Amino acid sequence: MMALLKREPLDRIPVWGSVVGFSAINVGYTIADMYSDPQKAFDAMLWTAEQYGFQDIPVIFWAPKLGEVKMPEGEFSQAPTVSRYLVTTEEEAWKLELPDVKREGRRATMECGKLVVESGGPFVNVAIMPFTYAGSLCGVEQLCKWMMKKPELAHRLLRLSTDRNVERARYWADTFGTEHLLPYTAEPTTSNQIISPKHFEEFALPYVKEVHEKILALGCKHILCHICGEQNMNLPYWAQVPMGDPGIASFGHEVDLDVAGKYFPNDIIMGNVEPAVIQTGTPAQVYELTRICIEKGRKHPGGFMLAPGCEMPPKAPPYNVWTMMKAVSDFGWYE
Amino acid sequence: MASEERTKEILKGLHDAVVSFDEDKTVELCHTVLDEGIDPYTAVMDGLSSGMLKVSDLYNKKEYFVPELLLCSDALYAGLDILRPAIVASGKETSVKGSIVIGVVEGDIHDIGKNLVKMMFEAAGWTVYDLGRDVKLERFVEEQERTNSEIVGISALMTTSMLAMPRVINMLRAKNPNVRIMVGGAPVNPDVAKKYGADGYAPSAGTAVEEATRLLETLRKK
Repeated sequence: MMALLKREPLDRIPVWGSVVGFSAINVGYTIADMYSDPQKAFDAMLWTAEQYGFQDIPVIFWAPKLGEVKMPEGEFSQAPTVSRYLVTTEEEAWKLELPDVKREGRRATMECGKLVVESGGPFVNVAIMPFTYAGSLCGVEQLCKWMMKKPELAHRLLRLSTDRNVERARYWADTFGTEHLLPYTAEPTTSNQIISPKHFEEFALPYVKEVHEKILALGCKHILCHICGEQNMNLPYWAQVPMGDPGIASFGHEVDLDVAGKYFPNDIIMGNVEPAVIQTGTPAQVYELTRICIEKGRKHPGGFMLAPGCEMPPKAPPYNVWTMMKAVSDFGWYE
Repeated sequence: MASEERTKEILKGLHDAVVSFDEDKTVELCHTVLDEGIDPYTAVMDGLSSGMLKVSDLYNKKEYFVPELLLCSDALYAGLDILRPAIVASGKETSVKGSIVIGVVEGDIHDIGKNLVKMMFEAAGWTVYDLGRDVKLERFVEEQERTNSEIVGISALMTTSMLAMPRVINMLRAKNPNVRIMVGGAPVNPDVAKKYGADGYAPSAGTAVEEATRLLETLRKK
């Protein structure tokens, strides 16, 4: 991955496994451990990355100070969820003040980052998500309604969220140094499965753009941006968001990699083997889908990393994951 | 008693108010329906539901998205809250298209899609038994049995929670081989639906009613 970021020639395509819950199950931990126990999260992701040859950076993505939270439990949960939102009324939204960034409940995330740096890892991730974070404050449905009926209220939450994301990046940069920081933007709530491109332009673009500009001004060189889900109608807007030099633009399976490459000619593109196929498909289907991604991605002048289209399904059959890597071994070499 | 022309005007007004997510106008017109003696069931079907059909079409064409649908839904339910008691009070027989049990499976709290599906079914004249989200698998079976619903709709948004789908499907089939089961949610696709043994699949809230209607026809032909 370092060679890719330095725009140096590569011998083969690097792979980002997006292995969070999959790592936990792979090494015998619980999915909840990946969001609460820095050492277990670090070990599980590192070991799993070593096992499969992934480039993943161990990280805990979670902000527990968002109302009441339920950690993943039981057989079918995948991630923590907000069971009661911080904001439930308009009055609360107007009065909301977020806690100091150092007290926003990311101790485990910070501890995991320290383990990465101590182990000589090149980068620490910090989560950036101005629009999706605003949705986590009041609930996505409520944010959607306020965008329509009380846009000034939606903008207030987005302003709070944007400032918080910048403060967080600055805090992480002060702690780890910008040379060690690889901010990771993930914005599933901006997908066209939820909002229109018109709403994206008004309520997401200015804020995502502002956060990225400010993070890059801090001195970070690259941002890894997961453009999650069905985002085809938003791509002209995403293309206006600076990602770094180069940035890494990651896509869900809903976006064709050839199309993605046209919008991000100078950035690394990443993606996008369909997670549901990795989980439920046959090894032959996974192999073929991976081959197609490689053939499309390898042509991209900005560089390419193979990855699942979203988080690796925690319960994906290990043989399917191995098959994905076999396709990389068979087709993923540069001349 | 309103004239035919006046009735048409009110029904069109209801249709347009739902499509333009104008909740206040919807409420005002529903009161007009009652004040002017217009049949409340006709007002629901040819006004509110007709509007939701248009909304569904706009959603399928990607002209409307979730925010617009949520406000249309608010307008619809505000209207139904006024008209439904009048329909019940009238004692008039109303035709129900079918009945469906829906819910988001255990371990998953993402219910925006399920709520939109519920609205589409209610607007289309179905009886909906909504189990909510994070639903224990056996609850789908119990509720189908209790209500004798023809269709069960199962939703999941995560790759982990979608693994509950085949288990629910098997449980439902064991109890009632005739029940028709449809699945939906972001990680689900037609291949997954088939592999899991579902009878139907809807890629979006806008297509769910059509798919359920198709399943209902296969069931009733049997």
